[in-house]
Amino acid sequence: MLRITAQKSLAGAKVSPKHLFPIFSRSSTDVAKKPEKIEVFIDDKPVLVEPGTTVLQAAALVGVEIPRFCYHERLAVAGNCRMCLVEVEKSPKPVAACAMPVMKGWRIKTDSEMTRKAREGVMEFLLVNHPLDCPICDQGGECDLQDQSMAFGSDRSRFTDIDFSGKRAVEDKDIGPLIKTIMTRCIHCTRCIRFASEVAGIDDLGTTGRGSDMQVGTYVEKFFLSELSGNVIDLCPVGALTSKPYSFTARPWETRKTDSIDVLDAVGSNIVVCTRTGDVLRILPRINEDINEEWLSDKSRFAYDGLKRQRLVTPMLRDACGELKPVDWEAALLGVGKVLKAAGGNITAVAGGLADAEALVALKDLVNKLGSEAVCIENSFPLDGSGTDLRSSYLLNNKIAPAEEADLVLLIGTNPRLEAPLLNSRIRKGYVHNETEIAVIGPKIDLRYDYIHLGEDPSIIRQIENGQHAFVKKLKSAKKPLVILGSDTLSRSDGAAILSSVQSLSRGLQDEMCDPEWKVLNILHKVANQVAALDIGYTPDLSKICESSPKVLYLLGADDCGITRADLPDGCFIVYQGHHGDQGASIADAVLPGIAYTEKQATYVNTEGRAQQTLVAVTPPGLAREDWKIIRALSEIVGAKLPYDSLEEIRYRLEEVAPHLTRYGCAEAANYFCEALELGKKTNAPIDTSPLDVKQKTLEDFYMTDVISRASPTMAKCVAAVQKQNLSKY
Amino acid sequence: MASQAVRGGARQVKPLLSLDNEEARKRALNLYKAWYRQLPYIVRQYDIPKSVEQCRQRLREEFKKHECLTDVRVIDMLIIKGQMELKETVHVWKQKGHIMSYFKPTAEPKPTDFLSKFLQGVN
Amino acid sequence: MASVILRSRVLTPKYLKQCCAGISTSVSRYSDDVEVAVKQREAPLIRKELALLNSAELEQKRQHEEGTITVDRPSNVSVITGVPEEHIKSRRVRIFMPAKNAMQSGTDNTGQWEMEFETRERWENPLMGWSSTGDPLSNMQLQFSTKEDAIAFCEKNSWPWFVQEEPPKKEAKPKSYGVNFSWNKRTRVSTK
Repeated sequence: MLRITAQKSLAGAKVSPKHLFPIFSRSSTDVAKKPEKIEVFIDDKPVLVEPGTTVLQAAALVGVEIPRFCYHERLAVAGNCRMCLVEVEKSPKPVAACAMPVMKGWRIKTDSEMTRKAREGVMEFLLVNHPLDCPICDQGGECDLQDQSMAFGSDRSRFTDIDFSGKRAVEDKDIGPLIKTIMTRCIHCTRCIRFASEVAGIDDLGTTGRGSDMQVGTYVEKFFLSELSGNVIDLCPVGALTSKPYSFTARPWETRKTDSIDVLDAVGSNIVVCTRTGDVLRILPRINEDINEEWLSDKSRFAYDGLKRQRLVTPMLRDACGELKPVDWEAALLGVGKVLKAAGGNITAVAGGLADAEALVALKDLVNKLGSEAVCIENSFPLDGSGTDLRSSYLLNNKIAPAEEADLVLLIGTNPRLEAPLLNSRIRKGYVHNETEIAVIGPKIDLRYDYIHLGEDPSIIRQIENGQHAFVKKLKSAKKPLVILGSDTLSRSDGAAILSSVQSLSRGLQDEMCDPEWKVLNILHKVANQVAALDIGYTPDLSKICESSPKVLYLLGADDCGITRADLPDGCFIVYQGHHGDQGASIADAVLPGIAYTEKQATYVNTEGRAQQTLVAVTPPGLAREDWKIIRALSEIVGAKLPYDSLEEIRYRLEEVAPHLTRYGCAEAANYFCEALELGKKTNAPIDTSPLDVKQKTLEDFYMTDVISRASPTMAKCVAAVQKQNLSKY
Repeated sequence: MASQAVRGGARQVKPLLSLDNEEARKRALNLYKAWYRQLPYIVRQYDIPKSVEQCRQRLREEFKKHECLTDVRVIDMLIIKGQMELKETVHVWKQKGHIMSYFKPTAEPKPTDFLSKFLQGVN
Repeated sequence: MASVILRSRVLTPKYLKQCCAGISTSVSRYSDDVEVAVKQREAPLIRKELALLNSAELEQKRQHEEGTITVDRPSNVSVITGVPEEHIKSRRVRIFMPAKNAMQSGTDNTGQWEMEFETRERWENPLMGWSSTGDPLSNMQLQFSTKEDAIAFCEKNSWPWFVQEEPPKKEAKPKSYGVNFSWNKRTRVSTK
């Protein structure tokens, strides 16, 4: 299967003509409007660029990389480090390439005598004020200053100030449990300040003083608390801001990097897992323009220490005294198998948000083979109308990246800042650069941008749908409106009514859209593999479980479903399969240790319907086994052998169930918006009057949401830091 | 299959020894005969706890293993390697253990079915 | 030999005569005339491995050395590489394009295709605390200019492979220093 998929891609089957066409047509209309391109010469290589392009960007087009410290592609131009000075022919002084727009016919010399001398001078000034502590600096080995001083710096020092005033020294700041500061190393590139104010939307960082007295800091003593704060560690070109949990653990050349996918929210950020000797040492973002750009939320970045604590490492069975006792796999499988056989098809399976698609499909196959159809996910979702049959009613249909192009965003019962920080950063990007207007129906929350608060009453949705609300005028006039509906709202008892109302409201807007690729209706999920579970055919009707009084309840990583022993009939046997000893394992009669996302090659589908796979970074601890393999082994014991033995074979099965699950990297778009709407209208249920609510309201609620982050000491420290900050007078 | 799409049709390459399959077959047979004739001497010289008949059986297995090969150059390379092995054996550059390692490995065989692989935790 | 003669052309013929007589074993006679001596050719060398072959064998030998054979399918070298079977069949190769390091602004070592095997167990060696592994292929780092090359290499070695397509690239928008100071836009810089 793996080969076939790749072969398809080679044959170019991935990009269908349908996808190509709008791209082509859009660009052709754009070209007609755009002003003429101008020609400049970078090291005598001619290049045609749009007017307004900076020298540095023009050089990048021909593959010439100009050294820089303060310039960053995704941040505003600051132009204060001067490292990018280059010579322009007939200009008496070198120009700062990052801030200077090119003029017609300019001849830019990026490797001339003057350029090199300018760089050497800048380098010397930077090093005068930078300590020589590379051997004890965590940035050593991946430091821009180190690399660039080797490449462009002088070979000797003229620093004599050490005998007079001494080297500049700055006091360190305490800005929270995630970021360690060694402010003496700071070269004042202001990247962190720009990130905080532009991307994270927190104007806490800034500079004070001038000249050699200049300092980067928080003005007053306070923590830099943001859901995206970890990114300033990546941005810092020197070792001034480093990772506190990672400090002094490893050098970059010692670690092995494995490309993987994050599963702690529904965005599916691309990550690099750095490991050494079977330990995950840190997690870094990996660039993917369609999903996370190059940012990563703090939970995804720092919750990895939860992977080593509270792990289930051996199978366990409850003995006669009612205690869970470790047993070997044979005994565990036989024990569970016996109960499954005896249940005679009266089995219910519940899957949690961290379960991968392979395990989901294997569990569903097993339960179906044993004669039960009761497979469901923890989060409830309206089943009236089209329910989960049509993908358009549970996907972020417009994808993540285009969210920054929207000119009006309506958030209904969701807090994207904490549920999907990277989607929120896209909305904020639109807010800053695109003058996007944002409106919220739901509780008043801090989104780090200004929004119009329409109220908490869900009846407002109906009003907007029927055109009675004042906001309708704005919605109608918007060229690219976006409606994002949170999953918290859908789990309400009137979720179906709200969904159908939002569907019809979006339909009204969709009909007026000139761009057929733009989708107004979007659903935002909170857990990683919700979409895959719904695609595979899991049903979201958890409440019905308790009524059906199952003999065996099989929890596949389900810890947040809130089921207790009291909800279940007497003698119900609970099997828990998962990687952390959390709520699910505590009520279980049998525990089968599965593995976490850094330990398996598994498929996850994010909220926009994009299938991606994690890769093995470390080997599983103890006796833990891959989840689908546990189910496969169990099936053989029960006598309902599943027909797949290897990853390739189970992926054939995945492809059989839903072909998009193995088209890695591609977001499979949904259709049938009208049909979903028509089916939804039939239910015609009323909307409650209870105000819309979201579970995660403040930053405190962000850090610990799943088994991994709940087991993480770093995340616990973050919660403590937020609480401490709340007590502070600043 | 994918690589054919990538590489495309036939191509000209330099031969190692043989120009065609027929020649390679002859070489293989020659090598087989040479080994076959040497076996009694090997058994005696190395004093291995195997009979000549067992050794012939093993020799046959070893050649049968590569029965389905068609690439002339790969066959040639195997013949060269076999020739080297033979030379080392004849000259007693090998020791008893080296000869015995042609027979059943001493380590326990790895499980092949899914369940025993799962229980033992091997991939 | 000829070079000796050529070099000694400047010398007197008499001296040359003595010289030739002293060094050469193949030049049958010496001549008074330098020009003639130079033109005289030595007997052709006979390679000793060919000396005893008859003409049919010689023809075959020549064919082996000069001729080429046609291979109509991709070669598979997995039986002759000496890689143990368990490291061929049970491995899975990922073919990918390495991403830029998020910690630095440089882009070296990106833009080419690489292959990598799936991760096997690594552990801390109790002697020195170094990292140990039982996987001989984990340190194999190969770079390819195209993904087709990488695929062909994996096919040749019989490794199961899959390609991880590179994520889409985005065209850069022109950036402007001026927007930091625009009076009516949200891009105006508040903190410095």
